Amino acid sequence: MATNMRGLTQFIADIRGARVRELEEKRINKEMANIRKKFKDGNLDGYQKKKYVAKIIYTYILGYKVDVGHMEAINLISSHKYSEKQIGYLAVTLLMHENSDFLRLVVNSIRKDLDDNNEFSNCLALHAIANVGSQEMAEALAEDVHRLLISPTSQTFVKKKAALTLLRLYRKHPEVIPAAEWAMRLISLMDEHDLGVVLCVTSLVLALAQDHLEAFQVSYQKAAHRLYKLVVDREYPAEYTYYKVPSPWLQVKLLRLLQYYPPTEDTTILAALQKVLETIMQTAGTTPRNVQHNNAQNAVLFEAIGLAIHLDTNSPLVGVAAQQLAVFISSKETNVRYLGLDTMAHLAARADSLDAIKQHQDTIIGSLRDKDISVRRRALDLLYSMCDTDNAELIVGELLRYLQVADYGLREEMVLKIAIATERYATSYKWYVDTILQLISTAGDHVSDEVWYRVIQIVTNTEDLQEYAAKAVIEHLRPPHCHESLIKVAGEYPLLICAAYILGEYGHVIANDPGYSPMEQFHLLHTKSPFCAAPTRAILLSTYIKWVNVFPEIKAQLVSVFDRYRHVLDSELQQRACEFYALSTRPEDDDLLQNVCEEMPPFPERESTLLMRLNKKHGDTNDKRIWNIGGKDANIERRPTRRDTLARSATLMNAAATAIPPSPSADANGDIMSSLAGLDLTSPSSAPPSNPAPEPEKPAVQLTHTANTDKWYDKLCYSNDGILHEDVQVQVGVKSEYHSQLGRVAIYIGNKLSVALTSFTATVSVSDTSALSVTFQKIPASTVPARTQAQHVLQVECRGPFKTPPVMTVSFMAGSHQSMTLRLPIIMAKFVEPVTLPAADFFERWKLIGGPPREAQNVFPITLDAAGQVDTPRHRKIIAGHRFHVLDGLDPNPVNIVAAGVLHMSQAGKVGCLLRLEPNKEAKLCRLTIRSTSEDVSGEVLALLQRHLKADATL
Amino acid sequence: MIHAVLIFNTSGTPRLSKFYTPQTTNPTALMNKIYTLISSRPAGLCNFLDAPELNALLGSKGGDDDVRVVYRSYATLCFVFVVDGSESELGILDLIQVFVESLDRAFEDVCELDLVFHFDEVHHILAEIIQGGLVLETNVVDIASAVQDNQKARKTSFSAANPLALGVGSGVGGRSANSAVPSPIGWLTTKFAGVGAR
Repeated sequence: MATNMRGLTQFIADIRGARVRELEEKRINKEMANIRKKFKDGNLDGYQKKKYVAKIIYTYILGYKVDVGHMEAINLISSHKYSEKQIGYLAVTLLMHENSDFLRLVVNSIRKDLDDNNEFSNCLALHAIANVGSQEMAEALAEDVHRLLISPTSQTFVKKKAALTLLRLYRKHPEVIPAAEWAMRLISLMDEHDLGVVLCVTSLVLALAQDHLEAFQVSYQKAAHRLYKLVVDREYPAEYTYYKVPSPWLQVKLLRLLQYYPPTEDTTILAALQKVLETIMQTAGTTPRNVQHNNAQNAVLFEAIGLAIHLDTNSPLVGVAAQQLAVFISSKETNVRYLGLDTMAHLAARADSLDAIKQHQDTIIGSLRDKDISVRRRALDLLYSMCDTDNAELIVGELLRYLQVADYGLREEMVLKIAIATERYATSYKWYVDTILQLISTAGDHVSDEVWYRVIQIVTNTEDLQEYAAKAVIEHLRPPHCHESLIKVAGEYPLLICAAYILGEYGHVIANDPGYSPMEQFHLLHTKSPFCAAPTRAILLSTYIKWVNVFPEIKAQLVSVFDRYRHVLDSELQQRACEFYALSTRPEDDDLLQNVCEEMPPFPERESTLLMRLNKKHGDTNDKRIWNIGGKDANIERRPTRRDTLARSATLMNAAATAIPPSPSADANGDIMSSLAGLDLTSPSSAPPSNPAPEPEKPAVQLTHTANTDKWYDKLCYSNDGILHEDVQVQVGVKSEYHSQLGRVAIYIGNKLSVALTSFTATVSVSDTSALSVTFQKIPASTVPARTQAQHVLQVECRGPFKTPPVMTVSFMAGSHQSMTLRLPIIMAKFVEPVTLPAADFFERWKLIGGPPREAQNVFPITLDAAGQVDTPRHRKIIAGHRFHVLDGLDPNPVNIVAAGVLHMSQAGKVGCLLRLEPNKEAKLCRLTIRSTSEDVSGEVLALLQRHLKADATL
Repeated sequence: MIHAVLIFNTSGTPRLSKFYTPQTTNPTALMNKIYTLISSRPAGLCNFLDAPELNALLGSKGGDDDVRVVYRSYATLCFVFVVDGSESELGILDLIQVFVESLDRAFEDVCELDLVFHFDEVHHILAEIIQGGLVLETNVVDIASAVQDNQKARKTSFSAANPLALGVGSGVGGRSANSAVPSPIGWLTTKFAGVGAR
């Protein structure tokens, strides 16, 4: 602390008192000499070291180079006195950078401070890692930081710092952090009571989730829930309101996080988010007078609009937002104009229809002339994004006009954008060529090579364009279009390059028209050549050699040019000239020249180099961009890659799941595992249903097993209520009811402990979302109080035939973080409605369906009851439990069972199923035959029933 | 993330500089550049400025895009945050306000001299708000209490070491003798409506 160190105060006062720079330097040099001497003499106590290091820091801050004090700073870190330690750490974070060799020496001291019982020491150490964390530190200390973050005994201020330190380490050295493995544990911290911790953890999750979308999937639900509580329920500690807005930073982060995931399909979460967005937009309708309040409110609003656009560009919310944005872009407040344009560019980049934005086209074009360059930039982005075939001519025209007066820093980007817009939205070739040439001649220096490469590509590939292009370039080279002053002395001159290439290739097409004779073409180009740099001249030479081939009448002039260039200093030019000279002076009958100068073949179709360049500019940032500047199509391409990442990270998810300690499994049921294998959470299962063997490379989800898990699950398959899972901590029960294709399944989570379960999360994943939808009616609350039961209702809808039951993952904190993965007893048979059929009808239909493939049949062993008889009551129970109506008296043999039911599916329609079971007491075998109108259904129903009727099935 | 936090006075002298991305070039050049950028902007323009020209100077890896400068002036001091595209501009503007309010609480009517004589304390306060370029805490009450806890810890360790010292460690806000120099007290909060209402 400065006031404690009189010497330091004096030193600062002296420096302030120095009237001129020389005096200041003199004073500093004197001090540094003194410090060096003291350090050399050694034998300093902690206070003195602290004082001198503080002086060094001050000198450093003033901008002087310092080369002493590093070792002393490191010594101070290991001091027992907080004040000395603090100065030591300050010096380390200021004087050293992450590649500094001195950092090796502090790793151990930092580790000691991380393990210290004193939280203040923890904080100093965390802060140091966050500021200068090197690779070595990251490897050595990431574990310790993680421990501080998740330890229940850590104070909130330690947790906050630990979260951000981890984030920093991840940004710098992502390979050090096992993100997927830590995912669930980190996400559970988003339920912390302290909003400060939530903010920091959300920042961390935000960064990790971008690279591990799948592993962090649950954070979506958490973020939505937290937002709902903040915004709609207004449930937050009072001190976290910032000018009446509940923690705007947290809201912004959460809204941002939600935009990294594809829009949710879960209707419950979606409804909650809609409500949140509505509330935010409603409050934003009022403009508070206080600057601070207004800022905070708008910060949230702009992010909320971003999310609304992301979720659904056609929703009425976006309509409201568009109106609001229109007000913003003509606001008096510059900040608001800036952000309004920025957000509108986002809307334009994603919206299907640009009509809402086009209404304000004039205002936006006007913004190009805003007095503030920041606003002008945003207006440029927006104009580029909102460009389409209808307004391209107008917008590009405006941009071209603006280009002439635009700031230098802006021009290169503008040229790129104009070039892309022109190419993409051109309605006629003529317009394209005119515009792009005008662009090239106006922008001069600011035209990057990609622009003219692209023009040449397009002209070469479009035959209709070649003649017009050739004429147009000539017109552009002629005065008054091409003013001499535009050609910078010895500068690159892209228009000339472009012209040279096009005329070289297509000059002969127009050579017979008046005003475009070979001689005139040659003159036009050649008079410009003295002003050009070597690369341009090289291209001119190439053009000349092409002309030697097609224009024999000017061969003499061309050859004399080559001759002269054979003696220039530039080696590239000289080589070309020599080769071309030799080539053109070969005998007349030689066809080498002709072969060499064949017309260029069309370029292979490839991605526009312009777009690549523009996108490169935006790639590789810390947080990925949510949208690209540009029209809708520019953003659509981004989606598939997202999906890819999702699919790929499923393997990581698997890795995370296997990390759950395997509980003793009573019966490693291969059947279940294999039927669950191929559980791909994102893409609709592509495996054809007739193929029972799942693809082996697809990850299987590790289910939580206890002794009774399978028994309970099986029982629930043919009954509506029962226990799904039970251990010492929780009991999970199920109650369900089904009506044709719809169902309601209530999950009861009973907390058997005397403490509350916190950070409770439940998610359901369905392998084939096009066949089955399972959603929570409400987002599950994050706490289950001690010794109580919480009920969560699932809405279920069957859309088509499916095989894999949904999987529910439950995680919670009870001392440590735990999670369970449970199959839900939601099987296809649940959507069967029993039907009664008279015997005649039954047999008629039975025959109508006929044999395979719509019949599925299997023979399998059965167990007899205690009396050695066929266990008919059990068979009836199982079949009725699978919601088939047992038809008595149809089969003359009393042990045989026939039954019928209709499977209801909302999209695939209804499928009638007939069933016949023929047990044989002597052989202990039984034959099960299913006939239905769909072969998929027959197979699946057979599999389901057989599982329970079979001999080794648990009762 | 936040690349840098700077405070300039009206004559362009940096009063605080903290970089969160390692500097390859001379930071002074960078600071001069930033000051030129913002000082050339008249009042009334927006508080944000795209600064692609800082990309190179910041030397951030991989040519980060979207370097933005968010700044705000308070009487004689100008607070400048250099951030990347992933930060919400208004959020940073709010953060500047939080920083200023925190300084104000710690120093009781902070003035430029406080920043000079208590540079270490200013860094400590900043460390409670931003850590490694990321926002740590935004709640002024929490920040203030963290700063006070720090001071207490320091005082305890000091008095434990110097049992005979009298009246030392009076905490921040106790101005040293030199601050008899007239200082623009009260330049801060009164300028903005609503701050006092807290």
